[in-house]
This record gives sequence, C-alpha cells and structure tokens, in this order.
Amino acid sequence: MPPGQAQTLRALFDEFADATYTLGYRILGDRHLAEDVVQETFIKVIHSLATYRGEGPIGGWIYRIGYREAIAISRKRRETVMDPDSVTFTTLEAPQSVEASVLQSELVTELDKAIFELSEPVRAAFTLRDIQGLSTKEVAEILDVTESAVKMRLARAREALRLRLKEYLV
Amino acid sequence: MNVSCNELDVLLPEFLDGTLTPDQEAAAAEHLATCNACALEVNELEGVTRLYKEYGALQLPDDARKRIMGALNLEA
Repeated sequence: MPPGQAQTLRALFDEFADATYTLGYRILGDRHLAEDVVQETFIKVIHSLATYRGEGPIGGWIYRIGYREAIAISRKRRETVMDPDSVTFTTLEAPQSVEASVLQSELVTELDKAIFELSEPVRAAFTLRDIQGLSTKEVAEILDVTESAVKMRLARAREALRLRLKEYLV
Repeated sequence: MNVSCNELDVLLPEFLDGTLTPDQEAAAAEHLATCNACALEVNELEGVTRLYKEYGALQLPDDARKRIMGALNLEA
C-alpha cells in the first residue's frame, strides 16, 4: 500500500472505527461481531477507496458499508433468536464513586436492553440519528429508505424507549 | 394556529429535531405551555435522546483496534 494511501486510511480508521463499532454493536448486540463489522467494513473501504467517487460525505459511504456488513452478519445468524439478557453489556470506566458506578452501570444495562427490544431497522435508524447525530437525510441515504421512513422509525424508537425507560427520565 | 394533543403528536418528531417551520414551532410551543401531559411527554422524549447521546456511543476496545489495524496493515 503506498504511504499516502496508508495515511489516508489510518485517518479514516481513526475517525470512523468507533462509530462503525457502535453501529455494529447496536444492530447485532455482540461485541465480537461488532469488531468483525469494523474489520470487514475497512477491508471494503481499502479495496474501494480508489474507486470512491466522492458522492456525498465519505463518512456516509463508510456508514453505508458498515450497515450492510452488519445486516449481512445478522442474516447469517438469523436462525439464532437473540435473547437480550444474553448480550454482554458495556460498562463505563472512571466512575465517580462506588454508588455512582452501580447506578451508572445499571442505567447503561437498561439502555442497552431497551434498544435491543426495538426491531433491527428501527435500532439502525435510532443509532445513526440519535446516537451518532447524523441528519435524517444522511440516515435515509445510508439505510436506503425515504426520509419519511426514517422519521417514522425514529418516532417509534423514541416512544418505545420513553415508555421503557420512564423511571430513569426524572 | 392552535394545535390539539393529537396534532402535536404528529409534529413531535420534527419538533424534537428542530425542523418544524417557524409557525408550526410556535404552535407547538404554545400548546406545550398549557398542556402538562404533552410537556411531560416532550421532556421524557428529550431525556431519552439525551441519555443515548451520553451513553449510547461505544469505543472500539484497544486490543481489537490493534488487532484489526494489524490485519489491515494500518499500523503506524
């Protein structure tokens, strides 16, 4: 790989690896599979970067590859019904105190469980729009659906999560 | 323009995203100023998005980052 290209790819990896991992994890609910999503996504980025025609932000292009990878992995394991209780949840580092740590850990676990109770298309839209902060238009392009469909999925996600997480919303 | 609770429900997604027209936004705000039930719902919806913004994004673990960068020949 030419040095210039390696530098570009490293910069893209630094900028988008976490976001791709988040998207993979939020769709698949499995850290190891989310890591696979990152690796497969960047293999495709490396192979296709030379032919990338710069239509829209490069982040959108990478998210779209990541989303397709996550869906492909999800399809492969579809015969296995995912149990939200079996998911390995992420806990946060550097808690302020033991009590705060327990509360924070409980909250993060509940946030994770709640999001995995949403359908896959709804989770994907919610992750990209409300966690990653992309615009509705960008999310629609990545998921290859209309902006109305994104808005509908977001409304469904937010309402389901509001009802599910009511006790934490004081 | 006055809106009912049901009409506000329709406007809510775009209200939360800040993409309503100024007239719609004003009508939604006017309704929320007088309807506690809708104001509570909006507060809770904003709370949901705030929580996920704060806690929803993840970091690729360092060991996985190193392994994947190695597999992709992207080590510095």
